[in-house]
Amino acid sequence: MTVPRDAYLLRIFLGENDRYGGRPLYEAIVLKAREMHLAGATVLRGLEGFGHSSRLHTAKLLRLSEDLPIVVEIVDSVEKIEGFLAAAEEMMASGLVTLEKVTVLQYGAP
Amino acid sequence: MKSPALTLYLAVALGAAFGGAGRFWMSGAVTRLVGETFPWGTLAVNVLGSGVLAFFATVTGPGGRAFAPGPVRVFVGVGLCGAFTTFSTFSLETLNLVREGETARAVGNIGANLFLCLAGAWLGFTLAGVINQR
Repeated sequence: MTVPRDAYLLRIFLGENDRYGGRPLYEAIVLKAREMHLAGATVLRGLEGFGHSSRLHTAKLLRLSEDLPIVVEIVDSVEKIEGFLAAAEEMMASGLVTLEKVTVLQYGAP
Repeated sequence: MKSPALTLYLAVALGAAFGGAGRFWMSGAVTRLVGETFPWGTLAVNVLGSGVLAFFATVTGPGGRAFAPGPVRVFVGVGLCGAFTTFSTFSLETLNLVREGETARAVGNIGANLFLCLAGAWLGFTLAGVINQR
């Protein structure tokens, strides 16, 4: 699957404990992205962070490590991203989404 | 017929259930209150647990004021205080501090746990001694 050179980077910030349909929300997002044939998705787990509650989540203290930050990144064309966002909206009970324009240099795509 | 060993295991299990839940609550509350970048919560439960155990053991020990049967002793001593305090979390969090280059805070954490837990135990012991002599 080739991604156009001028594409969009979608970033979804959420927590490990966020869930949707009986599974972790990040997993539901990745599966949804694959189902909609997006170019790809990557889940990153954060070491430390805080959200709108301003409660610190950190891997350093065991007691504060049960809801670490998660970022899901998806890069694709603007049409694909917009279509995905419309579908993903109902999954997001909380979290933050950012969208930015990126230039894609893709290697090894079929 | 109920076996005495089973009663003891059940007493430990019940005490550990309350102690573990109590630790989860208290270490969370202390961490949020005092600071989220140093293991204050773990230190607090260890000091309190050490004090309570020394107090309880002295009050219910030979020459103590109160008599506690075996199951009660293991309920409080092994289950409750054992699950409330945590050496493993202390070890992990100290290691985390070292790995992040916070050597001074790691050493401080070791010193504080060692010194304050012994001080807590001494306080519990002394307090129990006062009660025992009444």
